[in-house]
Amino acid sequence: MMLGVLLLIPLIATILIALVRPRAWIELIHALAALGGLAVGLIVAARVWRGDVPAAIGGLLRADGLSALMVVVITLLGAIAALYGIGYIRAEYDDTHPARTRSFFGLFHLFIFTMLLAVTTDNLGIMWVAIEGTTLATAFLVNLHNTSRSLEAAYKYLILSSVGIALAFIGTVLLYYAGASRAGEVAVNWTSLRAAASSLNPQVVRLAFAFILVGYGTKAGLAPMHTWLPDAHSEAPAPISALMSGVLLNVGLYALMRFKVVADIAVGPNFTGPWLIGIGLFSLAVAATFLIAPRNYKRMLAYSSVEHVGVICMGLGFGGYWGVLGALLHVINHALSKSLLFILSGNILLKYQTTDIRRVRGLLQTSPLTAGAFLAGILALIGLPPFGPFMSELLIFRAGLESGPVWVVILGVALLVIVFAGMLGSVNQMLYGAPPEKVEYGDVLRWSLAPLAINFVLLLVLGLALPHAVTEALEQALKVLGVSRA
Amino acid sequence: MFTVLFPRLVTLLSFAALGTALLLIVRRELAGQVRLFAAQSLTLAILAAVVAAFTSSIELTIVALALLLLKVFIIPYALNRAVKKIGLQPAALPYLGTPATLVVCGGLVVIAFAVMAPVAASNPLPTAEAIPIAFAGVLIGFFVMVNRRRALTQILGFLMLENSIFQFALLATYGVPFLVEMGVFLDVLVAVLIMEVFLYRIKENFDSIEVDRLERLKG
Repeated sequence: MMLGVLLLIPLIATILIALVRPRAWIELIHALAALGGLAVGLIVAARVWRGDVPAAIGGLLRADGLSALMVVVITLLGAIAALYGIGYIRAEYDDTHPARTRSFFGLFHLFIFTMLLAVTTDNLGIMWVAIEGTTLATAFLVNLHNTSRSLEAAYKYLILSSVGIALAFIGTVLLYYAGASRAGEVAVNWTSLRAAASSLNPQVVRLAFAFILVGYGTKAGLAPMHTWLPDAHSEAPAPISALMSGVLLNVGLYALMRFKVVADIAVGPNFTGPWLIGIGLFSLAVAATFLIAPRNYKRMLAYSSVEHVGVICMGLGFGGYWGVLGALLHVINHALSKSLLFILSGNILLKYQTTDIRRVRGLLQTSPLTAGAFLAGILALIGLPPFGPFMSELLIFRAGLESGPVWVVILGVALLVIVFAGMLGSVNQMLYGAPPEKVEYGDVLRWSLAPLAINFVLLLVLGLALPHAVTEALEQALKVLGVSRA
Repeated sequence: MFTVLFPRLVTLLSFAALGTALLLIVRRELAGQVRLFAAQSLTLAILAAVVAAFTSSIELTIVALALLLLKVFIIPYALNRAVKKIGLQPAALPYLGTPATLVVCGGLVVIAFAVMAPVAASNPLPTAEAIPIAFAGVLIGFFVMVNRRRALTQILGFLMLENSIFQFALLATYGVPFLVEMGVFLDVLVAVLIMEVFLYRIKENFDSIEVDRLERLKG
């Protein structure tokens, strides 16, 4: 019941926004849907954490511990980006652009709907349909400003992501085929596939996982299938970039995690690990080369997402209790810090009208609040204590040292140090110096930044002390992923 | 009788679908390419109908009809509209010439048979023999996408790739469950309509639909 409501809220919001005319109403529906979605999301998650497994529509919708974690991330960061989006879109488009404001708000909720559907359905085919839906919902959002740059980004995003995850569909069909002989038509459901996993033909499952890894890996932004990501994430409006980089990539990872569980049972535990470690390390290396001296701060944040997705993949690949726990924690930490930074990048863009790092000077003087938060966010993102990402990266590399090989960990840490230096250097350039003359002093959208306090509090909480409630929630997700404290 | 003929008919239709993909590679005129896509879709609709008749599946019959409506009529109509609106550009501008292209495609077919051999061998269905043919179609669709500079031909490559995945599912498992298939059709339709809009915007912005022009975003 609650699961149905969770999905209906953004869907109804999309329809209403398409129907009503006055801008104030659109904004009101938008804000109510975002906050309502968060409330229902938390209720659903709370029910899961109490031990329920909510299901609806004959098991088509189903939420377990892993879904609950994703639902909270999507609805919480969705609400924060939504509240910032109202002010941001007002600053970008006055009332002479009714079509663009309407498509922004309407597609925003369609985007949220597709992500929520992807993580709350038990049907792997519907999950695929929903993940392809996220691409379709965001294609116009990437091109909202309709410049030749954003058009190029959106076209490439649409084509590359669609083709990428078309491969994931082949993987899904292969697994369905492998399971159909054991479980019949319901083999398209994750729960029945997992139940039948030990009797699946390992050769077919291996092939299926290769397709899944490349396919959903494209959506998750893993190198070498990441090429669309820096374009799309940097050209989209700030609140959308925040969700695409902070949240949507996790949906791709979520799909990978589900299939990994089945593959681990069917083929044995040592099959998926090296693949995930390899592709993760490669992503980290590719991102690091672009982050040595980035020139565009939005692209810098986008490449940093490739880096962090790589780190998460390595955590999943190292496996074991600590590796997977670290990966899940890092999913949350990355979502919190990256969405924070992309929202702040919107403020910088509004102020300086450029994404070029060399032309952003004296940020500390012109917008002290934005600058301070941006610096703190970057410090969190590059893994400095006392913030959460430090803890999760520590857990992941600790798991790496335990399961080996050690050179992978050494190489990974070395790459992180390169990223650390590159990003800090770039931010340093932005913060100091003499601001350009035409730039006025004073923060823009000051009050729209207020919700970001939530990101900071959570990043600190996750870095300093894991509250019991959080560990409980993580334990439930870990149980779904088939790992437990030995 | 039908049981004996069935696998042969399936293989024949699968080869016909692959043939249209190969013709798309040689064909240079955009309107002709759209017709080839429609022809491939029609072949697949017949293939789906044959499998539906063999398995007496009502759901698969509906899928065959939906495929016919969507990919033989609606999508080619939308693409033809785009071809007309943009102004017909006859040359399809491949990077590789025809002979080299055919050699690559031959290689892709061999790869497809090698990769899918274990799946075809372990599959008990009478349609299993044709699985590698469908996978060859997937690879050739990919190749069309990277080898052609025109945005419209890229979209056709994507659609043929998508067609081959449908065919693959049909041969490997008699199709994915009905609800999923309908969801995929919906996605494809929306994707094509969005791509069509982007085609117009690319034409407006760059005064061309050559993908080469799209190279401003770097680093």
